[in-house]
Amino acid sequence: MTLDRPTGGALPIDSPGEMRRAVEALAGPPGRGTKPMTSDLSIDEELLLHSIGWEPVELVTGASIFSVPMGVWNWGQGEITSASTAFAGAFAGAIDRIHRETTRAGGHGVVGVHVETSVQRHHIDVTLLGTAVRPVGGHKGAATPFVSDLGARDFTVLHVSGWEPTGLAVGAGFVYAPRRSMGTAMQQKSQNVELTNFTEAMYSARESAMERMQASALALRGSGVVDVTVNEGPIDFARHAIGFTAWGTAVRLAGDQHRTIEPSMVVPLDDSQVAFDASTLG
Amino acid sequence: MPDAPADLPEAASRRFESRAFTSGLTVPDFAACLQSGLRPVGFVQGFCVMQWSWYGMGSPYNRGLSPYGGGGGYSETYQCPHGYVSAEHRSWGRNYEQSWVEQAWSQGFGLAYGRMLEEATAVGAHGVIGVIDTSDRLSDLGVVEFHVRGTAVTVDGVPAPRGGQPWTTYLAGQRLTKLVEAGYAPVSVAAAVASVRVWAYCITEYLLGGGGSAWGGQQSSAEVTQVAAARTAARQLAREHVRAQLGGDSLHGAEMVVSEREVGEGDQEIQCLLRGNRVRRFKEFDPVAVPHPTVRLS
Repeated sequence: MTLDRPTGGALPIDSPGEMRRAVEALAGPPGRGTKPMTSDLSIDEELLLHSIGWEPVELVTGASIFSVPMGVWNWGQGEITSASTAFAGAFAGAIDRIHRETTRAGGHGVVGVHVETSVQRHHIDVTLLGTAVRPVGGHKGAATPFVSDLGARDFTVLHVSGWEPTGLAVGAGFVYAPRRSMGTAMQQKSQNVELTNFTEAMYSARESAMERMQASALALRGSGVVDVTVNEGPIDFARHAIGFTAWGTAVRLAGDQHRTIEPSMVVPLDDSQVAFDASTLG
Repeated sequence: MPDAPADLPEAASRRFESRAFTSGLTVPDFAACLQSGLRPVGFVQGFCVMQWSWYGMGSPYNRGLSPYGGGGGYSETYQCPHGYVSAEHRSWGRNYEQSWVEQAWSQGFGLAYGRMLEEATAVGAHGVIGVIDTSDRLSDLGVVEFHVRGTAVTVDGVPAPRGGQPWTTYLAGQRLTKLVEAGYAPVSVAAAVASVRVWAYCITEYLLGGGGSAWGGQQSSAEVTQVAAARTAARQLAREHVRAQLGGDSLHGAEMVVSEREVGEGDQEIQCLLRGNRVRRFKEFDPVAVPHPTVRLS
């Protein structure tokens, strides 16, 4: 994606002049009548947001931790509902807190949310960190701001295409891989054979998680989910249990229909040969 | 070139007086800075080694005797719902801000940062770009080394600085050029640590140990509200500490690093480092058209 002037020309290149003006301005007072913002966006991301009439407001976070009762990771059958419930609860708690911070800061949504999750034997943790954003000049925060793990670039492309994020859709499933009978285990011992109990457990966890994520998207009044992040596999401390977690940004059409974007094709003239590969001293 | 500060190492003063410049910039960053009218004059650094004492109020070796009082700052008390059970029962718990840890970090970082600025002043710089800061434990005894370094620069066409602190930024090269083009002047790096200690009360201890939240054990999951509140508070405090350094300016390109250390059953310490660039708007955003998407054919 390139940034063009409305006239189609390139950005002005009087960089030394701008640098001089910037340095001279440091002698003056701070804050030109605007409320100071905090943000973890890059300058490219901030420019992209401005190009569609949005601006960063505040760095916002949400954290939650839910307990998992003793013994639930022992051998069993079917879904480990306590773990699935704890994951959903921790996500809901973290989203609730980031919502409140965003509304208080005057944001209408949060972009570029970093999602961190951790599944431990006795607790499941979720933390969210992102930048609250709003339409330029907006003051009052939205009552239910959207939370999105899309970066500012993806948010811009989504906006230009006529879509909008509605929130973070989440689903999780934790399932026991049932024990094989002694006879089956003996019979399969020397064979190359599919362990259907594990395969079926993975499918079961997957279906539970995806179904919940889709239901959560619908609850957020989204019509679909983009940029889904999936983590699946046996639990580190309970290898007979399978976990499948999925989250992504629920989206819906902002207008009547999708707007087609027509990208230009470009051939970069960069020299593929790397002439210099110095790295910053660090 | 102004006189070097008296407490700079003698070798450093001699080195700064030589005519060769030094820089920590990559070649592309170096080229971009020259293009923007910045001239590197010296790779400047500051060090500080701090020893932190763990025996202050609220240290892990000294669990408090009372749920009340404290050293100011964030604090929340949690009361046990069970009444008196035994002397070992955690009948109260507390989350509180460890302001002495935050101050120790600020002191170490501030001294190293100040020494870097001192070197930048000695070479006659207007600013320091491409700042990198690290803090590493030197031993297990609570000794931490702070190291702050960057490239001191002068700005073409701007009179030599007459006192005052050089401006600083974590950015360099094209990212710095774009920041200025977007209407922001770099003021300084901004960094702060928030440290929150959790003294678990009985419910937190039970929940994190796999027990129930009610007496007798309730086998369902529940939010560990004390820890959730501490984690949220640590992040909010870090943001507020940095905001206090902004003086009406904005924080751009922030990075948050969180570490947790379990001290006992349910007891933990949460440390949250937030750093970024303090920037000042010196002109309005130029109108930028909606970006035009492109597809690379290579």
